[in-house]
Amino acid sequence: MPYQLENQPADVRESLYFPEVFRAIGIVIRTFWRNAFFSRDANPDVLARDLSYSRVTTVMYPEEKTTYAPGYRGLHRLVPRVDGRPRCVACYMCATACPAQCIYIEAAEVEGDPIEKWPTRFVIDELRCVVCGFCVEACPKDAIRMDTGLHPPPTYERTGQVYDEKRLLRGPPVSYDYDPWLRRGAKLPEGDMKRMRDLARPFAQDAKDEFSQTPGFSVRALASEAKGRGDGGS
Amino acid sequence: MKRFVGMWLVIGAVLVGLAALFQAFYLAAALASAVAVRLGAPGFYGSAVANTVTLMVVLLMTVAALLTVAERKWSAAMQDRVGANRIRVFGTALGGVPYLLADALKMLTKESTYPAARSRFLFELAPVLAFAPAFALFAVIPVGPDVQVLGQKVALVVASPDVGLLWIFALAGLAVYGTTLAGWASNNRAALLGGVRAASQMVSYEVSLGMSLVGVMLAYRTLNLQEMTVAQGAAVLGPVPALGILLQPLGFLVFFTSSFAETKRAPFDLPEGESEIVGYFVEYSGMKFGMLFLAEFVEVVILAGVVTAVFLGGWHPIFFEGWLKASLPPLVFGGVCAMAFMAKLVVLCWLQLVIRWLLPRFRFDQVQALCWKMLLPAALINLFVTGAAVLLDPSLQLLAWIGVAEIVAIFGVTAAAARAVAPAHAHEGSHPAHAAGH
Repeated sequence: MPYQLENQPADVRESLYFPEVFRAIGIVIRTFWRNAFFSRDANPDVLARDLSYSRVTTVMYPEEKTTYAPGYRGLHRLVPRVDGRPRCVACYMCATACPAQCIYIEAAEVEGDPIEKWPTRFVIDELRCVVCGFCVEACPKDAIRMDTGLHPPPTYERTGQVYDEKRLLRGPPVSYDYDPWLRRGAKLPEGDMKRMRDLARPFAQDAKDEFSQTPGFSVRALASEAKGRGDGGS
Repeated sequence: MKRFVGMWLVIGAVLVGLAALFQAFYLAAALASAVAVRLGAPGFYGSAVANTVTLMVVLLMTVAALLTVAERKWSAAMQDRVGANRIRVFGTALGGVPYLLADALKMLTKESTYPAARSRFLFELAPVLAFAPAFALFAVIPVGPDVQVLGQKVALVVASPDVGLLWIFALAGLAVYGTTLAGWASNNRAALLGGVRAASQMVSYEVSLGMSLVGVMLAYRTLNLQEMTVAQGAAVLGPVPALGILLQPLGFLVFFTSSFAETKRAPFDLPEGESEIVGYFVEYSGMKFGMLFLAEFVEVVILAGVVTAVFLGGWHPIFFEGWLKASLPPLVFGGVCAMAFMAKLVVLCWLQLVIRWLLPRFRFDQVQALCWKMLLPAALINLFVTGAAVLLDPSLQLLAWIGVAEIVAIFGVTAAAARAVAPAHAHEGSHPAHAAGH
C-alpha cells in the first residue's frame, strides 16, 4: 500500500545506524520464519491466497496457472454444432476482417443441400494472428470464438502453429433458434435435429448475456482434452 | 503444518547426523594419532593430518558449497519467493541441494578465457591467493573439545598454536593480495578499480578488526582459541558462563561488522559493485572465477567460526553442559559439543546472509566513515574500558556487568519508540473526500 512519507531529518537513533539495522534484521527474520517454516498457499488465484502464515506469492508456472479474466482472448476455436460439423458457413467474413490475414478458408457446398456452404479447409496461422478478436466480432453465426483460455502452445516447428479445422473444432456444441438449418429443416438425422432444437436458444444481444458464454465450459477440461490428443494443449 | 513439522524434523535429523559425523571425525583423529605414536612421532601430528582432511577439506568445503545453495533458498524465503527448485530428483527439489552439483559441473566445464594483456603469473596466482588464506584460517578454529578416544587425547582442531588470534590477523591480512592482484593482473580498468577498492576497504577494516579482539585477549588472557573456548565455559555471573558476547558485546559488534566488511559481501560489496564497476574478477572465468566466488563463501564460514569460537562459547553446548558431560561417554560428549559448534556456526552464516539480503550497498565514503568514525573509536573505547575493568577486577565479574549494561543499552536504544512508518488508515485520513466516496 503506497503512502506518503514525510521527508524528515534523521534523529539520533537513526543516525546511529545500528539500532535501525537491528530492527530491520528482526523484520527479515520474521519474514524468513513465516516463509521457511510454513507451507505456501498454492491457490492459483493469487489475490485470494491465505497469507497469514507463508507470504510467498509465487505461482509455479508450468504446474500451476493463474486463472484468466472471462474476456481473455485465447486460442481460437471453431464452435461445433450438435452433429459435430462446424457452425461455420464459410462466408469469409472473418478472413476479410482479419487485419493480419491469417485465416484461410476453402468453401464447399453441403452435399444434397441447395443453399448451404461449409468450410472444407479452415486454417488459422497463429504465428500471424495478432489476437485482435475481429474475427469473433465479424462472425454472423457465432462460429469462431476465442474463449478457450489457452495460449497457442509452443511447438518445435512453425507448422505446429498452423491450426486447421480438425484442431480448431473443439468445445461444447452451440445452437440458436434462428439457425437456418434448424428453420429450414436440412437433411439431418432426426435425433440430431431434435437435440439441436432442444438446445437452441435466442441469440445473445450483448456480450454480458449469459448465452454469449458457453455454459458449463471449462478451460481445464479443454486443456486436458488437448493433452489427451497429444497436441501439446498445455 | 506438514511443512512446519517437516522442517523441525529435518533440523533435528541434521543435528543428530552432525553429532554422529563428529564422533566419526574424533575416531579418525584418534586412529591417525595412534598411528603417529606407533611411528614414533608426537600424537598430534597424526590427528592434525586427520583433522585437515575431515574438518578443512570435508566439513569447511561442504558448508561453503552448501552456502551457495542456501544463499538462493534463504534469500528467497526472505523475499517471499520460492527459490531455486527446478532441478528435481525423483520429483522433489530436495531444498535446492542438487544445484550444488549443477554449479560445480558448470564451473568445471566452462571455457577458461584469458585476457591477452594479463600479467600471466599474477593472473594465475590471484585466485589461489584469495582462496588459500581464507581456507587456512580454519586451521586454528576449535570445532571440538579435548577428548580421550582410544587412549589418545585428541581435539577437533587442526592446530592449536599459542598465537591463534595473531594467525587469524596475519592470514586475514594476506587475503587482500588475492583480490588486489586479481584486479591488477587482469589489466582491465574496471577490474583494477575493484581491486583498489578492495584493498583500501580491507586495509581500513583490518584496523578495527584487530582492535576489537584485543579486548577479548585481555579478558581471557590468551591468544589460543582452544584455551579461549575453554575459558568461556567458566561461570562468571552465578550460573551464566563467561561468554565473549557477554563480556564484550561492543567488541562482538565491531568484530562482526569489520570482518563482514572483510568478506566483501553486501552491504560492503563495493569491490564488485555490479551496477557501476564490475569487480576485481571480471576477467576470470570457469573454475578460476569459481575459486574467487567460493573464497567469499569460505570467508563467510570462517567469520562465523571465529565469532563462534571467540564470542559465542565455541563448542560449549551451554545448556545442560555439566549433565551432558557426566552422563555421556567422552566420545559422544565430544560429538555433541562439536554439533553445538556447528549449530552456532550455521546460525551465524544464516545471520550473515540475512544482513547481506537486507541492507543496501554503502557509498564508498560511507564505508570509510563507518570504519574510521564509528567502529575504530568504539573498538578503542571498548579496549580501554575492558583494560580498566580487568585491572580492577581480575575475576571478570565487573566486565560481565559492564557487558550486561551494554547489552541492555543496545536493546533499549533499539526498542525505543520508533517513528510511525505507516500510520494506520493514513490513506483514508489524508483523503477524506475519497474515503467518503466508499
